[in-house]
Amino acid sequence: MPDRPASSTNAWRGIFTIYAILALAVFAFPGGMVDWLDEHNDSGWLAAPLALARGIDAASSAVGVKGIGVALRKRFADIVGEGDS
Amino acid sequence: MLFPTIDFGLFFVLSLALVWSLNNQNNLKKVVLLGLSLAFYASWNWRFLLLLLASGAISFIVGLYLDAKHVRRYREAVLALGVALDLGILAYFKYLDFFIAQVLTLAHSLGLNPPIAFVNVTLPVAISFLTFHAISYIVDVYRGRLTPSRSPVDIFLYISFFPHLVAGPIVRAHEFLPQLASPRRAGDFSFGENMFLILGGLFKKMVIANYLAVRFVDPVFTDPSQFSRFDLIVAVYAYAIEIYADFSAYTDIAIGVAALLGYRFPENFNQPYRALGIGDFWRRWHMTLSAWLRDYLYIPLGGNRHGALMTARNLMLTMLLGGLWHGANWTFLIWGAMHGAALVADHWYRRSAAFLRYGSGGLARAIDWTLTFHFVCFTWLFFRAPSLDAATQFIAGVWSDNGAANTMPAIVPPLIACGALTQIIPYRARAVIGATLDNRGTPAQIAFGFVCLYVIIVMAPSASAPFIYFQF
Repeated sequence: MPDRPASSTNAWRGIFTIYAILALAVFAFPGGMVDWLDEHNDSGWLAAPLALARGIDAASSAVGVKGIGVALRKRFADIVGEGDS
Repeated sequence: MLFPTIDFGLFFVLSLALVWSLNNQNNLKKVVLLGLSLAFYASWNWRFLLLLLASGAISFIVGLYLDAKHVRRYREAVLALGVALDLGILAYFKYLDFFIAQVLTLAHSLGLNPPIAFVNVTLPVAISFLTFHAISYIVDVYRGRLTPSRSPVDIFLYISFFPHLVAGPIVRAHEFLPQLASPRRAGDFSFGENMFLILGGLFKKMVIANYLAVRFVDPVFTDPSQFSRFDLIVAVYAYAIEIYADFSAYTDIAIGVAALLGYRFPENFNQPYRALGIGDFWRRWHMTLSAWLRDYLYIPLGGNRHGALMTARNLMLTMLLGGLWHGANWTFLIWGAMHGAALVADHWYRRSAAFLRYGSGGLARAIDWTLTFHFVCFTWLFFRAPSLDAATQFIAGVWSDNGAANTMPAIVPPLIACGALTQIIPYRARAVIGATLDNRGTPAQIAFGFVCLYVIIVMAPSASAPFIYFQF
């Protein structure tokens, strides 16, 4: 195998990268995670992660990140005419 | 729990950390991976775990009895029994009702009313892929490509490994089992390339395939009589792009996920719509199925070793069974028959004096590509249509314009162009982008991954179509 640079030879660095990307995605679009946790929280066993997700949702809204994502999604849907279907 | 869902995202990030934390305890890691794979399968229907376990048990036990120290006749009998058991499970769940329907239709046409009833059994997820993996193991052991495994965990894990479990790629036993022997090394894989593969797969599925399916292809195929001739024709080509984007997306994500866990899967697609000839198409489309059918069906049938007529018979049989593998429906049989006939014609043409004389010229290659591409698109019509009646209704709609207005959404042409672009981009681009990412630091990788994911989420439609190959 060809030599790989350090950034690809460490599985944990890769895992950290993936976790960071997903954490940023959750911060940018927190609604999906909140809805998912809400749906699966029948007996209250996900109360703690749900509270955390709602906290992230509130923080994302407060700094305007969530609003940008929602607006861009709506704008793109309008461009491709998804709202008409 | 399909790939582009929050369910799978959570499952994967937990699996990734768990598996790598156990990397130096290989046996324990394999047990955990098996447990994760069984949980993945049970997320659809836990009752079908019994099927998975039965298939694994058959493979493990048959493998032990196929040991080379036994006499040949004994080994042949054991192999036949193992293959029959695997195919018997597949036949019961997938084909029995179809077979009963044909018998009843024939009986009713003869004025008979036999006391036969449908079994009405639910089709287990991934049963076709599961069966092919199981057969691959016992045949590889029989042929001496593998020594029989003494570890049931290895066999169960090979058959149920969650990245390939639902829709492939079909990983051969001799490709996968040796990888279970030792701890994996992350350095054997390019992190950047596999991240790019997964993100590209998400884009192909969530944007290209989903929009084409939800906005255009599904409505047209559901009721073709409501659409114009133009819409019907475009829908066939749109479906060609949709099925490629959908299936290659699943494969890309599966290969990327497996690689991030430390396991190598074979490639499954190589820009199939660039194919020059139908034989070339099958060397580029669902390559692991083509290789499986070639090695475990076409060659044992005699391949091309017994003259032109026998070769034609073997090609037809292979493609008919390949068609039937996709589903118990006449549409798949006709799709397989059309590809079989085209392969026979292609086989003869490539060995003809005309091909040797003119085949490498630019014009011949242009004609080759044009015929192959449009033929493949036409056959997709049968593959996609829910029934033979629906397919003939669709063709009738193309033949006789019903005067309906064109309703193709404006998003369709750019999506088709985007799909076409995936056939033109040099194959090496993925490795180059992967290497570039590997050479950047972690912050750059995070930024790249996040921006790509952000764009995908912004563009993805709110409705989603299921993976096409999920049903097989």
